[in-house]
Amino acid sequence: MPSKMLDLQTSQQFGWNLSIFLRAFLLCLLIFHRNIRSFPYFAAYLVANLTKAVILHLAYGAWGMDSWPSYFVAWGSEAGLACLRALAVAELCRRMLGHYRGIWSLAWRVLLSCAILIVGYSAIDAASAPQHSLAQGVIAANRAIELAVAVVIVVLFAFLRHYQVASDPAIRSLALGFCAYSCVSVVNFTILDKFINAYLPVWNFLGVFTYLGCLTLWAWALRKAIAVPPFGSPSLFAKAVYQRISPEVNAQLRTLNDQLSQFWRTEEPQP
Amino acid sequence: MSFFYLAAVALLLILLFWALRAPRKQASGAKNENALLGQAGRRHATYLPLIRQALSAGDLAFVASRGFPELYQRLRKERRGVALSYLTALHEDFSRLLDLATVVAALSPELAPTQEKERVWLKVQFTWRYQLLRVALHAGVFPQHKLDILTHQVSELAVRMETAIRELGERAAVAAKLASSLDGRGVDVV
Repeated sequence: MPSKMLDLQTSQQFGWNLSIFLRAFLLCLLIFHRNIRSFPYFAAYLVANLTKAVILHLAYGAWGMDSWPSYFVAWGSEAGLACLRALAVAELCRRMLGHYRGIWSLAWRVLLSCAILIVGYSAIDAASAPQHSLAQGVIAANRAIELAVAVVIVVLFAFLRHYQVASDPAIRSLALGFCAYSCVSVVNFTILDKFINAYLPVWNFLGVFTYLGCLTLWAWALRKAIAVPPFGSPSLFAKAVYQRISPEVNAQLRTLNDQLSQFWRTEEPQP
Repeated sequence: MSFFYLAAVALLLILLFWALRAPRKQASGAKNENALLGQAGRRHATYLPLIRQALSAGDLAFVASRGFPELYQRLRKERRGVALSYLTALHEDFSRLLDLATVVAALSPELAPTQEKERVWLKVQFTWRYQLLRVALHAGVFPQHKLDILTHQVSELAVRMETAIRELGERAAVAAKLASSLDGRGVDVV
């Protein structure tokens, strides 16, 4: 068992070092392809992520991995990073749907509501837990943020599909990277919540390697410059056109739907 | 409560898979709108009178009365096939209307959440009922007399939809043309 733990720790260390290199590489790709102006929050998130890695490295070197100062530095920087991640995700959402004024005006409200609901539910869930501790609070907060990110991205993809909006595959990959990492993190945090001490090494290992996978996906997506057209409205209908046509279309759809539901209830006409 | 989070992730992955799955039709995008609006009036109704004639209950009764069991079974099977084709046509009408609504929504400056929500709900309901009916027809559990009524209803409905979709398409196309010409001069028509 100790040798297994050591293997886990060694590979985790290797993964961590590789991820620092990949973060720096991604930042260089963004600068080299001049995409930094199109994705300012994503770039800021990468810079903050890189800075966090350096700060953590220094903190662990100075205070060790199991000390309180390291603990607060690690989770404090993670809180700041979570805010930047949320902004980066919001930026991706806008990049994908922002060209359609009407859809975006509806989508951002729905996406924000989803995020608030998830965070609210998680806060209530954490508050109603029988036992409270700092570690569990940190786990609950992180899990809530990750779940909110995952929900927002999945709902965004549902919007894209429902309105048949074509989006740049590179931007989709960036969003998918966030979503995959968040989904794995939610599961990872949930198991950690149950088996806090026994699962800690596996949690660290999974976290590092999932992030590595996510960084690889981003690097692949950013290998070429992403052509991002400026926001502007395509030829728009007048508001009145939508207001007139939409209810009519819905009425027709309702008619079709009613017909289908009546098929089962139809009776042979009496002679 | 851990179960909630794990179930939520499972549900999200299913939704993500659905959302990322390539749609059967090519995504509309901004450039295909005019083509779609132009197609809005094109329908299968041209052949409906012929199909209705082929489905008349009299033919089936005649074969049954003459005592040709094999032919009777074959006829029943073929009638079921025709009913399935009608259902497919109904589904196409529904999809076309949805596409029309999508184009209008994509080009509108503001959407009404209630309208959009209703449309999503109608789509869910329709898909569920349509699939259920298809399974019932394939399994042969749909009663014969209902099949007759069904085909009759669909053919009537198809004619009504033909008119409605054509009207909507023409109106939307006119509005699109007007909006494009005004937008080209930098004027917002709102």
